[in-house]
Amino acid sequence: MQRFLDPQVLAGISSLDLVAKTVVDGFVAGLHRSPDFGFSQEFAEYRAYTPGDDLRHVDWNLFARTERCYLKRYRGETNSQLTVLLDASNSMQYTSGPPRKMDYARYIAASLFYLAIHNQRDAAGLIVFDDEVREYIRPSTRPGQLARLFAGLEQAEPRALTNFAKPLKHLESFRHRRGIAIVISDFYEDPETIIHTIAPMRFRGNDVVLFHILDPQEVRPELNGSAILVDLETNHRIEVIPEYTKTTYREKIDAHVDRLRSVARGADMDYHLLVSDQPLDRALREYLSLRQAGN
Amino acid sequence: MGFLAPWFLGGLAALGVPVFLHLLRHHRAMPQPVGSLMFFERGTQSSTRYRRLKYLVLFVLRFSLVLLVVLAYANPFVRRAAEDTNGRLLLIVLDNSFSMRAGTSFADAKQQALAVVEAKPPTQKAQIMALGGEFRVLTQAIAEETQLQAALESIQPGDGRASFGELARAIRQLSETVRGPIDLRLFSDMQRTAIPANFADMVLPSNVTLLLQPVAEGAAPPNWAVESVEAPAVLSDPKDPKHSRVKAVVAGFGTPEVSKTVSLVVNGKVIATRKVNMPANGRATVEFAPLDVGYGFNRCEVRIESGDVFPADDASMFAVRRSDPERVLFVHAGGETRSALYFGSALEAAAQGAFVLQPMAAEQVADLDPSKYAFVVLSDAVVLPSIFEHALAQYVAKGGSVLISLGTAAAHNARIPIWDGAEKDVREYARTGNPAAVGQVDFSYPALAQEQPGHDNGGWADVKVFYAAVVDAGQSRVAARLADGTPFLVDKQLGEGHVVLLTSGLENLTNDLPLHPVFVAFVDRTARYLSGSERLSGSRLVDSFVQLRSGGEPVGAATSIEVIDPSGRRPLSLSEARTVQSFRLDRAGFYQIRFANGRDAVVAANPDRRESDLEPLAADVQQLWSRSSKGSTAPVEATYRAISLWWYVMLLALVVALAEVVFASGYMGTPREEV
Repeated sequence: MQRFLDPQVLAGISSLDLVAKTVVDGFVAGLHRSPDFGFSQEFAEYRAYTPGDDLRHVDWNLFARTERCYLKRYRGETNSQLTVLLDASNSMQYTSGPPRKMDYARYIAASLFYLAIHNQRDAAGLIVFDDEVREYIRPSTRPGQLARLFAGLEQAEPRALTNFAKPLKHLESFRHRRGIAIVISDFYEDPETIIHTIAPMRFRGNDVVLFHILDPQEVRPELNGSAILVDLETNHRIEVIPEYTKTTYREKIDAHVDRLRSVARGADMDYHLLVSDQPLDRALREYLSLRQAGN
Repeated sequence: MGFLAPWFLGGLAALGVPVFLHLLRHHRAMPQPVGSLMFFERGTQSSTRYRRLKYLVLFVLRFSLVLLVVLAYANPFVRRAAEDTNGRLLLIVLDNSFSMRAGTSFADAKQQALAVVEAKPPTQKAQIMALGGEFRVLTQAIAEETQLQAALESIQPGDGRASFGELARAIRQLSETVRGPIDLRLFSDMQRTAIPANFADMVLPSNVTLLLQPVAEGAAPPNWAVESVEAPAVLSDPKDPKHSRVKAVVAGFGTPEVSKTVSLVVNGKVIATRKVNMPANGRATVEFAPLDVGYGFNRCEVRIESGDVFPADDASMFAVRRSDPERVLFVHAGGETRSALYFGSALEAAAQGAFVLQPMAAEQVADLDPSKYAFVVLSDAVVLPSIFEHALAQYVAKGGSVLISLGTAAAHNARIPIWDGAEKDVREYARTGNPAAVGQVDFSYPALAQEQPGHDNGGWADVKVFYAAVVDAGQSRVAARLADGTPFLVDKQLGEGHVVLLTSGLENLTNDLPLHPVFVAFVDRTARYLSGSERLSGSRLVDSFVQLRSGGEPVGAATSIEVIDPSGRRPLSLSEARTVQSFRLDRAGFYQIRFANGRDAVVAANPDRRESDLEPLAADVQQLWSRSSKGSTAPVEATYRAISLWWYVMLLALVVALAEVVFASGYMGTPREEV
C-alpha cells in the first residue's frame, strides 16, 4: 500500500478527493494497530451549548434538572480543530519533476482534511495565502465541509509573493478556539522572521506544525553547465556556475533548514522537512500523533 | 604536394562559420526558473572561462572538419619519385667464370651479392643471373628474399669464360621486356680480357643503371698458367721424333722472372719433368719428346708447379689416342697414277704417320670393303664397280667419308659416283689460256681451316686451275670457289658420312695445286677431317660443342649416344641420348663419348686461357662502362608520379565528424536536462 503514498503515483490522479482517500486509506491500512480514535461510551466532559452545536448531543436530562443546556461529550468524540495554512506564492510552483511543490502541498492538505473530517470527525479549515489571505474556509464539521476544502485547494494556484504576517493576523481575528495549525510552505524567508510571525499562534495554545516543502533540486541542485536562474517570485535573474551549486548553495540551504528547525523547536513548534519526492505518510503520522497528545 | 582541383579551395571561406559560432557569437544560456534566488550567488566570470575551455575542443573539431572536407574536394596529392626502389628491378649478376676460382674471389662475390639481397627493400623485385660460359637467368623477377638467396647459393664457380659483351647483349634483350628502370649490379673480378673487341658491344640500354662491384682491388696477383699444348691427337709411332712430341707454352701474368718446373703427366703418372726459366711477365716453351704412350686413349696433361693463387689453371689436359696407322683407300682411274703420288706424298708428310695410303685402280676395288679404311679417295674414278659403289654408299651412310676429285675423265662421264647429282658442265680454262684462280675460300671449313690466312688467300691465290667440272651444289656446303664463282670444293653430308667433292683433279694436269705448299696442309686437314680422328681425341675449349650425330638420320633409326663427363656421370638423359645433336663441354676435364656411329672418343676440355690473365679493367674503363647507359635521360616529369591523398583526407574527416558528434551531443545535452 506504500505506493499509494508515493507522490509520483498521486500526481497521476486528477481528483483531489480521490487522492486524499487513496492516501488516507493506504495510510490507515498500513498501521499496525488501530489508532485510538473513533467513538466510545466513556464520558469525558460537559460543554456549554453554543449555537450551531448538534442538538443530538445535548444532555436533556441535565437540562431538565438545571434548565441549562450542556452538551455531553465522550472521550472518543473529543474533537480537535485543524487549520491548514497553505502558502500559494509563486515559489511553490517550482518543480524539477512531477509533482510540483504546490501539488505536493495540496496532497498533504487534502489528506489531512480527509483524515480529520472523515475519520476523526474533527473540524478542519483552510487558509490559502501569499502576501495576503486569498481564501479562508472556516473550520467546521458540517456536511459538505470536505468538499469545500477540496474546492478551496483546487483554486489555490500559486501567485505573488510570500508574506506570513498578514495571513496570521487575519487568522487571529477568526480563531477563538485552540487547535492544530499546520503551516505548509517552502519558507523562503529568514527563519527568525518566520518564527516571530508564527509564534503568537503558539502562545494562544495552538499546536503549530511547520511542513517545509522543498523540491529535490532545491535541496541538492545539479547543473551541467553555467545557467541563468530566474526567481519565480521576483523574476530576478543571475548567472550561476555548477561549482557553486555543488558547494556553497548546499551549505546555505542546509544551514537554513537547520536554523529553521532550531528556531521552531525553541518556539515549541514542530518542524518537518518534506521533499516532494517523499511519501506523504510522514505528514499524516505527525497529525495523528499531535491529535493524540492534545487529547 | 599539390592539388588536383585547387578551385575547390575557395570552400575554405566556410571556415568562418565555426569561427563565427564559437568566437563571435555570444553564448546564450537557457534561463531556468527556481523557487527563490535566496541562496544563489552570481558566478559570471568563472562560468565564461569554463565554457570557453570546453567549447575550444568543439571549435577545433568543427574547424578541422570544414578544412578537411574542403581539402578532400581539392584532391591533394604528393609527388613521389617514380623511380622508387619498389619500381626498380634489381638485377644481380654473379660472375662464375673460370677466373673467379682464383683465391677467394667467388666466395667474396657471392657474399657481397647475398648482402645486397638481404639489404634490399622487401617489396623490391630482383632477378639473379650468372655470368660464366653462358649467361644464365636463374630466377624470374621476384621479391622473395629466400628464393633469391637460394638461387645465389646454387651458383658454383664454373670453367667458362665471361664476356661483358654477352652480358650487355642479354641485358639489352631483357630491357625490351622490362619497361621500368633496372639496377644492374655486377659482382665480378672485372677481368680485362672479358671485354669485347668493340666497346660498343658493352653499352647498356638507357634504363639500366650499372653498378660494378669488383671483388679484387688493386693489381692482379701473379699467376702462372699452361697457356697451350701442342700434341698429336693420334699417335701411331711413339718413336717418331717428328710427331711424338708435346710442346707446351707456359705463361706468367704479372709474374717476376723465376724458374719453374713443368711436368708431363700421362694417365696420372708423371713421365717427364722440365725446368724452365720464366721471364718476367712472359712466356716460355717446354718440349717433351718422345711421347711414349700406350695403345688406346691416354689422358695427358702438362702441369706447372706454380704455387700461385690460381691453381686451377696450372694444368692443361689433352687426350692422345695411340693406334696403328689407318689405311686410306685411294681409287684412281686406270692409267692415272700421278694423283696417288702427290696425295700419298702429301699425306705422308703431313699426317704425322697416322695414315697409310693404299692406291687401287677403279676396276680392282670390286671386292673391297670400304669400312676397313679411314676414308676413301676417288681420284677421277667416275666409273666404279657397282658392288663397290653400293658398298661405298653404305659406308658413307654409316659415317664413312669420301673425297672425290674430278679430273679429265669426268668430262667423258657426266655421272659422279655416290654423289647425288650429275656434272652439268666442264670449264676448261686452259683452252682460253687464262687459268682460274681460287677466289673464295671458307677458312672455317675444317679441311681448309687456317687461323690467320695471309694476303695470298692462305696460299690459295697462287693456285691455277685449268679444268673444273661444274656441279650443282644444291644444299651442299661450298667451301671454296674459283674466281668465276664455280664451286671448287663442295661438302655434302650423306647419312652420317661426308662426301667432299673437288671439282678439279689431284694431279698436276687439271691444276697446279699439288705443286703448292698449301696442298700438304689441305691433304692433312682433309685427311683428319674425313677420318674423324680429330674429334676422337685431343683437346677442346670449355663451352665448345661436340657434334654427336648428323641431322640426316632417319626417324626411328636413332641410336643412343653416351657421354660421360669428367666427374663420371652421364649428363644426358635417355631421351636426350637418342635425340641430341651436339653436346656442350661445360666443364674442364676428360669427356668420354660414344658417337652414333659406334666410335669411341676421349676429348679433353680446357678453360679458355684468357681467363688466366687476372688483370682487371682499368678504373677509367669501368667508369666509362658504368656511365655508358646514361646517355639519354628521360624527361623530369616522367620520373615523378602523383599520389592522391583524397581517401586519407576523407577518412580523417569522417573521424573528426564522429568526434564532433560526440562532443557536440555532450554539450548540447545540458539544456535539455535542465529544462
